[in-house]
Amino acid sequence: MRKRSLIVINLLAVLAIGTGFTFAVLAPSERTQGDFAKIMFVHVPSAWLAFLAFGVTLVGGVVWLVKKSPLADRIAASSAEVGVFFTGLALVTGMIWGYPVWGTFWDWGDARMMSTAIMFFVYVGYLALRRSIPDPETRARRSAVLGIIAFVQVPLVYFSVTLFRTLHQGTTVVRPDAPIDPEFLRALMINLGAFTLVYLAFTGWRTRLARMEDELEEAEAVSDFEIAGSGITAPRLGEVTGDV
Amino acid sequence: MPYKSFVLPAIGVVVLVLGFMLFGGLGDNLVYYLTPAEAVSQRADFPDGERFRLGGLVVDGTIQETEAGVTFVVTDGDKSIDVANSGVPPQLFREGIGVVVEGSWSGDHFESDTLIVKHDEEYRSEEDGAYVPPTGTSG
Repeated sequence: MRKRSLIVINLLAVLAIGTGFTFAVLAPSERTQGDFAKIMFVHVPSAWLAFLAFGVTLVGGVVWLVKKSPLADRIAASSAEVGVFFTGLALVTGMIWGYPVWGTFWDWGDARMMSTAIMFFVYVGYLALRRSIPDPETRARRSAVLGIIAFVQVPLVYFSVTLFRTLHQGTTVVRPDAPIDPEFLRALMINLGAFTLVYLAFTGWRTRLARMEDELEEAEAVSDFEIAGSGITAPRLGEVTGDV
Repeated sequence: MPYKSFVLPAIGVVVLVLGFMLFGGLGDNLVYYLTPAEAVSQRADFPDGERFRLGGLVVDGTIQETEAGVTFVVTDGDKSIDVANSGVPPQLFREGIGVVVEGSWSGDHFESDTLIVKHDEEYRSEEDGAYVPPTGTSG
C-alpha cells in the first residue's frame, strides 16, 4: 500500500476511534451492570479484530501456497501480529470486565476463556515459528500451513458459548432477536467499524515495514557474500603442526 | 540446525499443553455447572463434601444475610436448592440474577464458598425500566 493511503487510513482511524469513544461514553448505564457494560465497546471489537486478523492470515497463507507471492506472506505475518495483540486485549478487557461483574477475572473451567487463551498461545507460536526459520521460502511455506491449521480455533472460540455451558454470556448481536437496546448497538457498531480501521492501519504499516525488512535482509545477504569471499585466508598449516 | 533444535521441542510443548488443557482441564469441565434439576437427580454421585458447581437463578425474596455470608435459593424453574454461601458475594448479586456457586452438598442444602454472578447477554438501558441498584450484601 502507498504511504499516502496509509496516512489517510490513519486519520480516518483516529477520527473513528474518537467518535466511537464519544458514543461509548454517552451510552446509558446498563440496567443490570451499570457502567461496567461499557467495557464491551472495547472488548467486543478486540475479539472481532482477532477473528478478522487470523482470517486474513489464513487467506494470506492460501494465496502464498497458490501464487508464492512474498506480499501474501508479509500480509499474513503482519496480520497475525496484530491479531495476537488484539487477542491479548480481548483477554485483558475480559478480565477487567469480569472482576466487578462476575466476581472473578478468570475461570479455568470456562470454554470461552480457555479456548481464547489457547488461540492466543498458538498464534504466539506462529510468530515464534516465523522467527526460527531463516530461509524466506521455507518460512513462508511452513507459516502458511500453520496459519491455515490454526484458523480452526476461530470458529471454536466463537461458538464456544453455544457449544458449552459457560460463565461467559452467549451471543447478543448475531441472533434474530438481538436483546440489546439501540443506544448500545449503535455505539458497539461504531466501535467495531473504528477498530476495523485501526486494524487496517496497523496491518498496512506493519506490512510496509516487513517489505523494508525483507529488502534490508536481501541487501545484507549480498554484502555478506562479498565479504565472505574476500575474508577467507588459507589455514597456516605449518604453524599449527609446529605447535602440536 | 536452528529450525529443528527449536521448532520440534516447541511443537512438543505446545501439543502437551493443548492436550492437558483439552483433556485434563476442559475435559473435566465440559459440564461447567450442574443445574438444580441435574444436581438433585445426580445426588447419589455427589456425596456430602464432593465439590461441584451449581448454576441457576436466585429466587426472589430468598436472600438472607447470615454471619458467615448469605443464604438464598437457586432454581432452574424445575427444581430449587437452598444455598448457604460463606463470604461476600459480588456487587451484582441480587434477586433474579444468574449465579454459579462452587461447593458441595451438606444434607439437604448446598454449602458454597465461591459465588460468581452469571449475567445474561441482554443489554438494556436504565431508562427502559426501573434500574435496580446492586443489592448485594457487600459494602
